[in-house]
Amino acid sequence: MFLEVEDLTKRFGGVVAVSGVSFKIQKGEIVGILGPNGSGKTTLLSLLAGLLAPTSGRVLWQGRDISGFKPDAIAAAGIVKTFQNPQLFAELSVHDNVMIASHLALKRLLGSRRLGTFFCAKGADRELQIRAERVLELCRLTAVVDKPATNLSYGEEKMLGVAMAMMCEPKLLLLDEPASGLGHEEVVHLGLVLRDLREHGTTLCIIDHKVAFLADFAHRLIALQNGMKIAEGHPKDVLSDPTVITAYLGRHHA
Amino acid sequence: MSSVWLLTPLYLIPVFSQSEVLLTILIFTFILSILAIGFNIVFGYAGQLTMFHGAAFGIGAYGTFLIHSSLGISFWLALLPTFVAILLLSLLVGWICFKFRLREFYFAVVTLAFSELVRLVILNWNSVTNGSLGLLVLDKPTFWLPGVGVMMIEGTRAWYLLALTSLLVVAALSYVLVRSWIGRNFAAIRLNEELAQTLGIDTFRYKLLAFAISNIMAGYAGALFGFYTNYIEPSQLSITQSLDAIAMVLLGGVGSILGPVVGAFVLTGLPHVINLSAELRAAAYGAILIVAILVMPRGIVGLLSRSRHVS
Amino acid sequence: MTQVILGQFLNGIIIGTLYGIIALGVTLTFGITGIVNFALGQFMMIGAYATWHLTDISHLPYPIAVALAVLIAGFAGLLSDRALFQFTRNNLVNGLLVSIGLISVIESGALLLYTATPKNLDFVLSGSWTFGDITVPRMKVATFGVLLVVIVFTWIALANTWLGRATRAYAQNPEAATLMGVNTEALQVGVTVYSCALAGLGGAMYASLYSLEPSMGALFILKGVEAAILAGIGNLAGALVGGIILGVTESIGSLFLPTAFRDAYGLIFLVAILLFRPSGLFGGQK
Repeated sequence: MFLEVEDLTKRFGGVVAVSGVSFKIQKGEIVGILGPNGSGKTTLLSLLAGLLAPTSGRVLWQGRDISGFKPDAIAAAGIVKTFQNPQLFAELSVHDNVMIASHLALKRLLGSRRLGTFFCAKGADRELQIRAERVLELCRLTAVVDKPATNLSYGEEKMLGVAMAMMCEPKLLLLDEPASGLGHEEVVHLGLVLRDLREHGTTLCIIDHKVAFLADFAHRLIALQNGMKIAEGHPKDVLSDPTVITAYLGRHHA
Repeated sequence: MSSVWLLTPLYLIPVFSQSEVLLTILIFTFILSILAIGFNIVFGYAGQLTMFHGAAFGIGAYGTFLIHSSLGISFWLALLPTFVAILLLSLLVGWICFKFRLREFYFAVVTLAFSELVRLVILNWNSVTNGSLGLLVLDKPTFWLPGVGVMMIEGTRAWYLLALTSLLVVAALSYVLVRSWIGRNFAAIRLNEELAQTLGIDTFRYKLLAFAISNIMAGYAGALFGFYTNYIEPSQLSITQSLDAIAMVLLGGVGSILGPVVGAFVLTGLPHVINLSAELRAAAYGAILIVAILVMPRGIVGLLSRSRHVS
Repeated sequence: MTQVILGQFLNGIIIGTLYGIIALGVTLTFGITGIVNFALGQFMMIGAYATWHLTDISHLPYPIAVALAVLIAGFAGLLSDRALFQFTRNNLVNGLLVSIGLISVIESGALLLYTATPKNLDFVLSGSWTFGDITVPRMKVATFGVLLVVIVFTWIALANTWLGRATRAYAQNPEAATLMGVNTEALQVGVTVYSCALAGLGGAMYASLYSLEPSMGALFILKGVEAAILAGIGNLAGALVGGIILGVTESIGSLFLPTAFRDAYGLIFLVAILLFRPSGLFGGQK
């Protein structure tokens, strides 16, 4: 079993953001998480990525308990998360942003020998540059490679976030609302990128509001409301579940 | 390396100039630049405002001299255990601060507190450090060259060569560090620490590294300073020492290798040019710090260059 | 032995009140303008030297000198705010660096005007009160009284006057306060000036008890910041208590440990609080 979430709970003072959520993700799956605002989706992803520590419950990754691990340890273990509001390294170019993200790849490539790359970085650097170029091409960012990250359009910023995550060669990629704020063409392109990722063997877990986009794409959907899981299963089944419809659209639509 | 090569013509100055004053100003500039470059690494590149380097400067001076005189070993050999001591102290203070996730201002305040504690220890440990009276340093660093034998660093010209060469080595090492993947990680921490963590960078480790490196450089500068001025005293560990370095970096330009050198030169040389009394010099210092913060956030170098590159 | 301890305890409370008034200034400035004004120690020094100058050189009566000194310190605060602090609102790092630059400027000014030779006021209120075996100089009690009154007055004003409520409202929610018509810029200037005036008063009272040196500012601001953070920065009521805790610890500590350690207590408190209980003993803003 790839990822196992057991009874995960997160409390902020008096507010319970995530309450007793449990689910599993298999290798190669695309799992979508949906729910209205405030249902705990982003908190759940932050818990999985190590940005928040759980109040109770466990997260198991490839059999290991990673609950409460720091974000960099979780990334090293193979789980990487993107941000809903694109997080970038401002001032630096797109290329530099992606190269920063190459740290994990460098570690895996050279191990402790990377200390030796101080004075002569040629070999490893070239390998990483090639990977960076490939990732940028995939995310259609080659045209803006030298632009400062702050000068990008919103869609380009989101793709940069995905590109940086991809540089980390994640086994499980957590995407927080990747399609939000994107125009139609950009959403289509995002779908292509994600499909390509899946072909490369990356498992995906996506939060989004665009229910149609998720339903189209995901193998399985999980619905949250008020921090709790209210439905799980094949997209068609989840979307026709009356509890889910009530949560999203209100009582009289059920 | 282009900016570092710009320093090499400075070797020619003693050839053309007989002015003791100019050479002395430059010696001080070079030594304090090492302190400033170190601070720039942890602040300009890694983004952590620390106030500990003043203490490291003083430990470098006291440590090197005390080890040298009590064990009878050379200046250079005495530097090694001093660096180790500074490293361990940096790891201790840094570990405490970063483990407790102190950010920015609070990190500055806590490092200030630790720096003051170190100063108090040195001030009061009379048996070892001679307290507020300070220590007279009459020995000189020595070199052994094949064919020439032992050479003492004595006199303005010899010190000029030593100080400039030290600066060149430190600047070159800093350049390599900053352009490497470690420097990249520093920049990542400065620009967006949370993002850096999600991309697999152990920010705790790299903050600690930047902190340690800056303090060791400060220690080397302190050792040179002590042996050059022949006098070591507790006030060299005061907050003012840390502030001087901060002022130099802010004035010269954060985030460029040579910026601190420019700042050090202006702050060291300017008071001599204008011939100010000691009090006015301090006032000028303060005024420059204020101006640098409010008007020139990128410093002199920032005004001159158009953009800043990391890799 | 108990008498000695009790005597030191009282001493600690009195010096703690001095720390407390600086801490109050620190906490007020932080709560409203979002920075820690490290130069407050210099405004204390301005108040102290102004008092000395007005009594010893201009031969004014002490109370008048104090009043004028407070005004002078407040005015200096106004100048600093207009020239510098208005550009560093809510920027802790810049505020720190700018106030430190200001320290150099003001301290040099004092050195130029008055040199480093310590200055002493002629006795303002001589004699002492004796309780059993404990003797307390009258001036110290007067100092304690004056500072306590001012601090309590500040609390009451903040709780009960319109201005005070506006200030507290702003501290809690800057945007809402603006929407309710509070002139926030004026408020921030006012708080900065008031804090400097408080520090000036502390300095004026200090002048009646101890000798003055330009370096006194640095010492007291560190204590003031320590006391404010100990109590919880932003916590107005706590500032005085924090100051007293610090003062008492130092006084009683000096009975058992060498005086060299005196300054260390505050530093250790500072580090310990920021590490283990950053919101301070009584909870403040963060």
